[in-house]
Amino acid sequence: MSEFVQAVINGVMLGGFYAAMMLGFSVIWGVMHVINLAHGEFIMVGAYLTWFLNKEYGWEPFAAIIVVAPVMFLLGYVLQKVLINRVVDRPHLVSLLVTFGLSIIIANVLKLVFTADSRITESSATGFWTVSEDITIPITKSVVLALALVIMISLYLFLQRTKTGKSIRAAAQNKQAARIVGIDIDKIYAITFGICIAITGVAGTMISPIQAIAPFQGPPLTLRAFTITALAGLGSIPGALMGGLTLGLLESFIGIYVDKIGTNLAIVASFALLVVILVTRPQGLFGGLRTDEEPQPL
Amino acid sequence: MSTTVTPTRPPAPVAPVSRARWVRRIVLLVLVIALFLIPAITRIEGQTLVSNSLLFRFTQMFMLITLASDWNLTGGFTGYVDFGHAVFFGVGAYGTGILMGHGWAFPPALFAGAVFAVVFAYMIGFPTLRLRGPYFSIAMLGTFVAMREIVRVSKGITGGGVGLTLPPYLNRPLFYYLTLILAIIVVGVMWWIRRSEFGASLIAIREDEVGAEMRGIRTTLHKITAFAIAAFFTGLVGGLWAYQNTFIDPDLVFIESRTVELVMMSMLGGLGTVAGPPLGAATIYWMRDVVWKNFADYHLLAEGAILIGIVLFVPAGIMGALGDRSGTSIQRVWKRWMGGAAGEGEP
Repeated sequence: MSEFVQAVINGVMLGGFYAAMMLGFSVIWGVMHVINLAHGEFIMVGAYLTWFLNKEYGWEPFAAIIVVAPVMFLLGYVLQKVLINRVVDRPHLVSLLVTFGLSIIIANVLKLVFTADSRITESSATGFWTVSEDITIPITKSVVLALALVIMISLYLFLQRTKTGKSIRAAAQNKQAARIVGIDIDKIYAITFGICIAITGVAGTMISPIQAIAPFQGPPLTLRAFTITALAGLGSIPGALMGGLTLGLLESFIGIYVDKIGTNLAIVASFALLVVILVTRPQGLFGGLRTDEEPQPL
Repeated sequence: MSTTVTPTRPPAPVAPVSRARWVRRIVLLVLVIALFLIPAITRIEGQTLVSNSLLFRFTQMFMLITLASDWNLTGGFTGYVDFGHAVFFGVGAYGTGILMGHGWAFPPALFAGAVFAVVFAYMIGFPTLRLRGPYFSIAMLGTFVAMREIVRVSKGITGGGVGLTLPPYLNRPLFYYLTLILAIIVVGVMWWIRRSEFGASLIAIREDEVGAEMRGIRTTLHKITAFAIAAFFTGLVGGLWAYQNTFIDPDLVFIESRTVELVMMSMLGGLGTVAGPPLGAATIYWMRDVVWKNFADYHLLAEGAILIGIVLFVPAGIMGALGDRSGTSIQRVWKRWMGGAAGEGEP
C-alpha cells in the first residue's frame, strides 16, 4: 500500500514538471504551426545556465529563474526573428527539419562549452518530509511542483486576461482576421516564441536540481512533450496538466513496479501511449487552443 | 507490354535527348567499372595499409548510398518522412549479430537479419503508416528511441548496454565488393520502381492519397510494401556493418545522427529522385572525410547548419538544380498536406 502511495506521489510530482515542461512546445505549435524539435535542447540550455550560476556564483538554483527567464526570452525572440519566421508559413516538414538542425547545433554547442559530463545543481532545499515510515515527500520536487503550478496559472491568466495574451490567441485562431483588426502578427509571433522559450528554459532550471543534466538529453524530453501534446490537444493548459499527470503517473508506476529495468521502459511506455493516442483519438483527450489542425484520422 | 504502334504515332524522341542519355549511361558504366577495379589497382601497388583504409572509406560510402536510397523510397517517393529509419539498421545489425552468436554462418545470419527488419517494418508500419505528416515522423522517432531502450534492457538476448561481439573477420575487399554490389542493386531497384506501376502508385499516394485510393490503388498495401523493401535493404546494410565493425551496442547502432544524415543526404541530392540520394550521400561523405575530420568537434554542429541551409535555400537539391523536376512537386504536396491548416489557399 505504501508503495502505491509513494508511486502516486512521485507520479504527481513528475507529472507537474512534465506539464510545465511541455507548455512552450504546445503553444508554439498551436499558435504558429511550428513543431519545435529543439524543445528538449532549449530545456538543456536553461538547465546549463542554472548550473553555471549555481557553480560559479553559488546561486540557489531556483533563484536563477530571474536570469534564465529574460535571457531565454531574448534568445527566443531573436531566433524567431532570424530563423523561425522563415518557416512559419511553410509546410510542417520544413519546420521539422529546421528545428531538427537547430537541436543538433544546440546540443553540440552545449557539449563544446560544458563538455559531455553530466552535471547536477545543488539546491539548499533538500531532504524529505516523512509522512509515514515508508512514504516520503522530497522537498526539492515539491518546490518544482509548486513552481510548475505557478507557471501554468500565470500563463493561463496571461493568455486569457491581458491584451497581448488575447492577441496571441487571436493569431492562433485566425491569422487573417487578426491582421485585419490590427494585430502585428510578426511581433506577436516573436513574443510568443520568446515567452515559450522562456518557460522552456525555466523548465530547465526546474530539472537541474532533481536530475543529472547532459547535452544530449533533449530528445526524450521532446518526445514526452509531443506525447503530452497529443494527449492534451494544442495549447490547452488544463489539458497539459491532465496529460502531464497521466504520463507522470504511468512512468512512476512502471519505474516502481517493474523491477530494475523500469526506468528504461518509461520512455517506451511514453511512446506506446503516443501511438495509441494518435491512432485511436487523434484530436487529443481535452480541447485546445485551435481545433482546425488535427492529425487526420484515416 | 502489349502496346500496339498505331500509324499516327509521332516519331521517336529527337536526337539530342537520346544522345545525352547515352552519354550519361556511358559515364555511369565507366564509373561502375572504375569502382570495381579500385581494389585490384591498389593491390597491384602493394600499399596494403593505405589501400585498406581507402577501401574502408569507399565501403562506408556505398553503405550510405544504399541507406539514403532506401530512405528516399518512403521519404521521397511515397512522401512519408521517416525520422526513425535507423531503427531498421539496428534491427538488421542485431539480428545478424545475435544469430552469429548462436553459431550461424554469416550469409544466412545476414539474410535472416534483413528478414527480421522486414517483419519489424510490417509490425510497426501497420499502425504508424495510418498517421500522416508530422505525426508519422514523430511516431517513427518514438519507435526508434523505444527500440533502443528495448534492446538495452533485453540483456538475455542482446547483451544489453554491454553490447555484442561478433567473430572478427577482417577482409576489406570482400566488404568493398559486397557493399558496392548492394548499392548498385538498390539504386537499380529504385530506378526500376520509379518506372514501374508500383512506383507510379507510390508517387500518386504522395501527390494525393485520397485521390489515389479513389482510383483503386490499395494505398495501405503499397505504403507497407515500400516500407518493407526499404527495411529489407537497410537491414542488410545493418548486418554488413555489424560484421565489419565486429562489435555492436545500442548507442553505436541506434544513433540519431544516422537518420539525420540520411535525411540530409536525400534532401541535398534531391528528394524523390533516383540519382539524388546517391549523389547527396557521396557529396556529404567525401566532404566530411576531407574537410570535417580535421574539425571533429565541430562536424555535427556544421551538419546541423548545413541541414538548415539546404532546407531553406535549396529544397529541391542537386537534382533540382540540374533541372530534374521529378521530385519537386513534393513541395506542393507538403504545402497541401502539412501546411494546409496554416490558412493558405483557403477562402
